[in-house]
Amino acid sequence: MNTKYKIKNKNGVEILSVYWFAILFIVAAGIVYMVYSFYGQPYDVRETEADALTTLVARCLTDAGYVTDGILLEGVLNEDFKGNFLSNCNLNFDVEDAYGWQDSGQFYLEVNFFNFDSGTSIGEISEGNSGLKSDCGQKGKNLPVCVDRDFYVIDKDNNQYKINVISVVRKTEKNVQ
Amino acid sequence: MKPILKNKRGNILTENIIFIILNLVFLSILILFIFSKTGSPAVLEEKYAKQIALIIDSAEPVMAISLGMNDAVSSARGEGINLDDAVSIDTNIVTVRLRDGVGYSYSFFNDVDATIKFNPKTEAYELFVGKIIK
Repeated sequence: MNTKYKIKNKNGVEILSVYWFAILFIVAAGIVYMVYSFYGQPYDVRETEADALTTLVARCLTDAGYVTDGILLEGVLNEDFKGNFLSNCNLNFDVEDAYGWQDSGQFYLEVNFFNFDSGTSIGEISEGNSGLKSDCGQKGKNLPVCVDRDFYVIDKDNNQYKINVISVVRKTEKNVQ
Repeated sequence: MKPILKNKRGNILTENIIFIILNLVFLSILILFIFSKTGSPAVLEEKYAKQIALIIDSAEPVMAISLGMNDAVSSARGEGINLDDAVSIDTNIVTVRLRDGVGYSYSFFNDVDATIKFNPKTEAYELFVGKIIK
């Protein structure tokens, strides 16, 4: 406190005030910058969305650990199920009319079925914009988000299968700035 | 009366008081700015549109979900928006509108029959997720 008053007595009052307010303005500028950089960015929910899509597909393909009836026919993927996959699994890839999204799909889904013992493919389903898959594995915040998951199921005869699900969500404009 | 505005040498401390008041005013403006940004209708619209879309994506028919959105409700009331129209679901697109304008829309991929309405008793939005009859 003495130092403060000494500065005052030597006409340092103005210098001290300006100095202190300069610090305040620097702090304020820092806070304003942080607030703008945080709240100016959209919430990126694409990974959560891709996870939810994978979960929804897994829930559709399995029933208490068993392959859902009608998906596999004599050890291979049922073509009828494959042909109506989106409808059978209650999926709707329509999106809002923004940023020209309706012209190019914002989702891509690929499901691969493998025989667990032999490792051979017994069927593949792909829906959505297949062009999005080429961006998987690359780094960059403006690229689509990919989620790749495997799970194992058995049929009623205890044959084992591996199912690989790749979910890709774009929606870049609304999730990244 | 005891001179409270003077230091030991008898100088008036008005400068110090003004200095403190200005600091307080400055900090108050800063805090108001932060609160205005964090609770702005634009931020809430985006936040709730995406949250509701993700909730529907993770939901299974048949479900009823109560959504406590007090800050959005306050914001919509402040902007004079009808609470029944503030949150709407059209086919598979959630739209949240808490101010004049088109609001913020986000789509969900779970093909369910989702409806939402405001319950004035609980002051919460009630989301119903049902099966689409094909």
